[in-house]
Amino acid sequence: MKLPPFRLHRPGSVEEASRLLTDLGDDATAYCGGTELLLAMKLGLTTYEHLVDLKRVDGLRGVADGSGGLLRIGAATTHHEVETSAAVRARYPEMSMMISHVANVRVRSVGTLGGNLCFADPHSDPASFLMAVGATLECQRDGEVRRIPAAGFLTGLYETALAPGELLTAVELPARPDRTGLSHRRMKLTERPAVTVTAQITVRGNAVAEARLIVGSVGIMPLAADATALLGATAADFGPRSASCAGQAAADCAPLPDGEASPDYLRHLVTVYAREALEEAFAAAAA
Amino acid sequence: MNAVGQSVERADGRLKLAGQAEYTGDIRLPGMLYGAILHSQVGHARITSISTAAAEKAEGVVAILTAEDLSDLDPYYGHALRDRPIVALGKVRFTGEPVAVVAAESQAAADAAVAYIDVEYEELPVAACLDQALAEDAPLVHEQVARPGASHGLGDLPDAEGNICYSYSFRRGDVDGAFADAAVVVEGEYAFPAVYQYSMETHTTIAHWRGGELTLWSSCQHPFLVRQEIAGLFGLPLDLVQVIVPFLGGGFGSKSYTKMEPLTAAIARKAGRPVRILNSVNESMITTRRHNMKCRMRTAAAADGTLLGRSAEAWMDTGAYADNGPRVTATAGDAAPGPYRWRAVESAAHCVYTNTSPSGSYRAFGATHLQWIGESQLDEVARRLSMDRLEIRRRNLLRPGEEVRPGGKPLDADLIGDVEKAAAEVGWSDSSADVYPRAPEAVPRGRYRRGRGVSVGLLAAGAQPVSMATVRMGPDGSVTVLVGTTELGQGARTVMAQIAAGVLNSPVSKVVMRGTDTRYTPYDRSTGASRSTTVAGLAVQRAAQSVLDALLETATVKLETPPGLLRTAEGRIEDQGGRSITHGELVRARFGFDGGELIGHGRVQPEGGSGSYAEGPVFWEVCVAAVEAEVDVETGVITVLRTSTVADVGKAINPQLVARQDEGALLQGIGNALFEEMHFAPDGMVLNDTLLDYRIPAFEDMPASMTCTIVENGDGPGPFGAKGCGEGALAAVPAAIVNALADAGVPMNALPLTPERVWRRIQELKIS
Amino acid sequence: MTERVQATINGGHFEGEVAPQELLLDFLRDRLGLTGTKQSCEVQVCGACTVLVDGNPVSSCCFLAADIDSREVETIEGLVGSDFHRRAVEAFMRHAAVQCGFCTPGMLLTAKALADRGLDANRGEIAVAMNGNLCRCTGYHSILDSLTELLGDPA
Repeated sequence: MKLPPFRLHRPGSVEEASRLLTDLGDDATAYCGGTELLLAMKLGLTTYEHLVDLKRVDGLRGVADGSGGLLRIGAATTHHEVETSAAVRARYPEMSMMISHVANVRVRSVGTLGGNLCFADPHSDPASFLMAVGATLECQRDGEVRRIPAAGFLTGLYETALAPGELLTAVELPARPDRTGLSHRRMKLTERPAVTVTAQITVRGNAVAEARLIVGSVGIMPLAADATALLGATAADFGPRSASCAGQAAADCAPLPDGEASPDYLRHLVTVYAREALEEAFAAAAA
Repeated sequence: MNAVGQSVERADGRLKLAGQAEYTGDIRLPGMLYGAILHSQVGHARITSISTAAAEKAEGVVAILTAEDLSDLDPYYGHALRDRPIVALGKVRFTGEPVAVVAAESQAAADAAVAYIDVEYEELPVAACLDQALAEDAPLVHEQVARPGASHGLGDLPDAEGNICYSYSFRRGDVDGAFADAAVVVEGEYAFPAVYQYSMETHTTIAHWRGGELTLWSSCQHPFLVRQEIAGLFGLPLDLVQVIVPFLGGGFGSKSYTKMEPLTAAIARKAGRPVRILNSVNESMITTRRHNMKCRMRTAAAADGTLLGRSAEAWMDTGAYADNGPRVTATAGDAAPGPYRWRAVESAAHCVYTNTSPSGSYRAFGATHLQWIGESQLDEVARRLSMDRLEIRRRNLLRPGEEVRPGGKPLDADLIGDVEKAAAEVGWSDSSADVYPRAPEAVPRGRYRRGRGVSVGLLAAGAQPVSMATVRMGPDGSVTVLVGTTELGQGARTVMAQIAAGVLNSPVSKVVMRGTDTRYTPYDRSTGASRSTTVAGLAVQRAAQSVLDALLETATVKLETPPGLLRTAEGRIEDQGGRSITHGELVRARFGFDGGELIGHGRVQPEGGSGSYAEGPVFWEVCVAAVEAEVDVETGVITVLRTSTVADVGKAINPQLVARQDEGALLQGIGNALFEEMHFAPDGMVLNDTLLDYRIPAFEDMPASMTCTIVENGDGPGPFGAKGCGEGALAAVPAAIVNALADAGVPMNALPLTPERVWRRIQELKIS
Repeated sequence: MTERVQATINGGHFEGEVAPQELLLDFLRDRLGLTGTKQSCEVQVCGACTVLVDGNPVSSCCFLAADIDSREVETIEGLVGSDFHRRAVEAFMRHAAVQCGFCTPGMLLTAKALADRGLDANRGEIAVAMNGNLCRCTGYHSILDSLTELLGDPA
């Protein structure tokens, strides 16, 4: 399986990259690690005549502490760099853990967080995780910057909210509130995950003050499940409330037909893993 | 016998660790072209036209082959049934069947040109699975019965019936009576998946015609059988077809018999230049796979646990072409009774054509298909009779010397000893955990439930026992072994050198086994069916003995001592008094100058009869394992905690390599048991044809504890009492896992034991 | 339209043109004759095509030759002769952890990358770290024994 012929462009700045993508239109796409794109092109699932390589664009790579406890990850930062970043490990060790299970060591060494998000493969971990922590995605075009909440970034199968010529430039994780627990669960049957669940719980006093439950890899896009039933829960009643919340999440998700698993079974796994993730997040928050 | 029995280091290890071992895909010939195949996109159709005009103009294209280039040949091959045309001839029978081949100056150019070949099809109704192929008005995959092939060893093939191209059956004793007398009858219907062997090196072949002679470099396991088929196809005498086999990156049966060689030879003939065809994984997946199977089985037993009767019928899906299907079918039929004593037994197995990719050999075929079924029924009998599952096996297992099948080789292994050893390694005991009926406190409960299982089976091993070997000793005492076993990774080059070194008492470092080149290497039937140590190794032993005889002859003269008073020492012959002459000195003395060579010849052939399947096997390979496994009843996920396998090998020429075989077979067994399965669309197309969607066992799938017990009872027909190994664990491990899962409360009738299948069964049984 | 590439390959300087769509695997094997790196699954799963780029393990089957520009590439041919390779050979030979050998170069290069990253791990952690390298022959047991010696806590 070989690649079809294409031209490679190597802009040095976001502006140049953005202009190239706009001018070349549908025949072009952004390219960075290529671990999803090149594979898709080899498999004949997609083809482009122009690849706009972002690896030489200034300022897209690296993890930095932002103001107010923000954690800023450049879109062209590799998974491995995210996983091993001291800042990520300090503020969001669960993210480091989640990333460490993505694909394999080679894909993590080459593939980027931004590339993963922009390719928007349904079977994926980072997007739903970022939705659970309330991350924001910084996008740029023609010098204009906008920030899209993670929850609004994915818009369909292999589709994002990026406008033509617009680049994802950074992922920003908010300052983590005190007493916030995070848990990410995944199950895979073949190479890519079949189910992922991320839960974030913030506790104030002895009760749940904030809760997010995101179900990924099951449907075309991650599902932000309804976690309102958990608000106000305490240790005494967290169990049954989380079971009910997990059940509702399973009912609400729309499983894609999958060669390996039926929708019923995938929904069942959602109830199991959602429950586990919620319990673990709560225990971590309450501790 | 010094090197023999030692875990001598692998002869090819350092080469492979340096990335310097040459595989077929590493070879570049001057002027070599690259082949790309146009695969049929339909499952069953007549080809109404093929136009290659546009493709021929594509950049870099040198030649394109279609059926019309084969009109001077009888283009059908197949060692069991000659049903396979070199390239689709008038008809395609499976999605993926080669319809044309392009040879071009680069792989990219060849790949690109394929898209410009235009094929028109008139589609035919498709029989893409067993049910469709066996239905009353099923479309026929082959309208005409194929001629028998030259080397199946199955005797006269029975007439085909519809899409059933071969059947194997036998009946002994009064089966109805046995079932009528039974206190317990267990019955069931079972399903076994299509599995892809996945050797990491895919099928690779280079063909080069020079002046009417053909040389093939190929990743093939049986170069002499390939030579025979190719010579027959192209009308050449055998000595004008040369097959050279570099190192193979795995085989496991997927590279047995003839695969890509005819197609490569045909395109090279047309191109007038060497051509290489190198499959991608998705192409190798539709080149060969394991037979999927349906099976019905019944077991009858008396109240005291004595087995009375077994009745089984199995249908093997051989895909669109038979390949080794008949032999797989016969072996499956023979595996149905298991290694037990029965009052009556009947078994029938059918080889069925379907419009899917062809099935062929994969490690432990037949046994892997049937062992888990018979063994799960035996465990169920034990449960119903409240008997210990080891005890019921002790009572009914055949003992050494007993007849396994009439006219065939009697049992040559201590199966009871083997299964007891395996069970002990996973903590089997007389405790309430393992004995039925279980005490209430021993019944598995909770989310994670554990169980233990054992399994015993036999595999007819050795194939056709025909093998020659040459051992050559040079005037410096160095030794070259020429024997046709191909190095797939199993360690042939190491073990054959050890055998020769052992007989001669040469240091192993001075003995080298060279790769197979049919022009220079003597004939060996095949590498597979665990036969190499036993059959080819025996030929090597005899050849080395013949060299030793010559050395002793010369030593007798030089030392003026009768041969009976001479003995071997390392690298030399010595007398009782301590005088000795080195091998090199003996060779030079024999020829009177600093040159010459001793050549020893060893021959193995059937001792009586023809070496046919029915008369064999050469030996019975033991398939014994025990497993402790855990199931998460909430998700159906199974974790294999502990495994133990038994390699009952008579004599372990290289104990470390024996254990390595079991370890590899074990992980393949875990894959076959838990998740490996090819999925087919309604038109027979393979849906999961890359490793993105077909899961291969990885580090994470290793059991926490894996033990291999080597049993050496000296009861093999091979050199030093050896018999082969390498396949038994693959048959036994899935069976032991199924039994462990049933012990945990979840009996299953279908493989693989995917989490969803297991979970659904748990729902059915309402046990969570 | 080609891409100009300057790179260090196994310690030696390379300068030349590559087609943009040329895969690093084909470049190494066919252009440079470095056939120690193997092609198997072609979809980044098996690890047989692993090479190191700036010390990072990559699937050369899904990596552009053009992307080695200004970078350092190490293949199995470059690893041979190093102290790591010597120790790896010793361990793998002792445990007979090589069978067909097709996965072997990828295993060694991945192990080297992990060692250089400072992996100091127990057997279970090594299995997790190596999980992206497939082997169909060995059942992993002997490879894990070898790597535990090679990568584990030397004490």
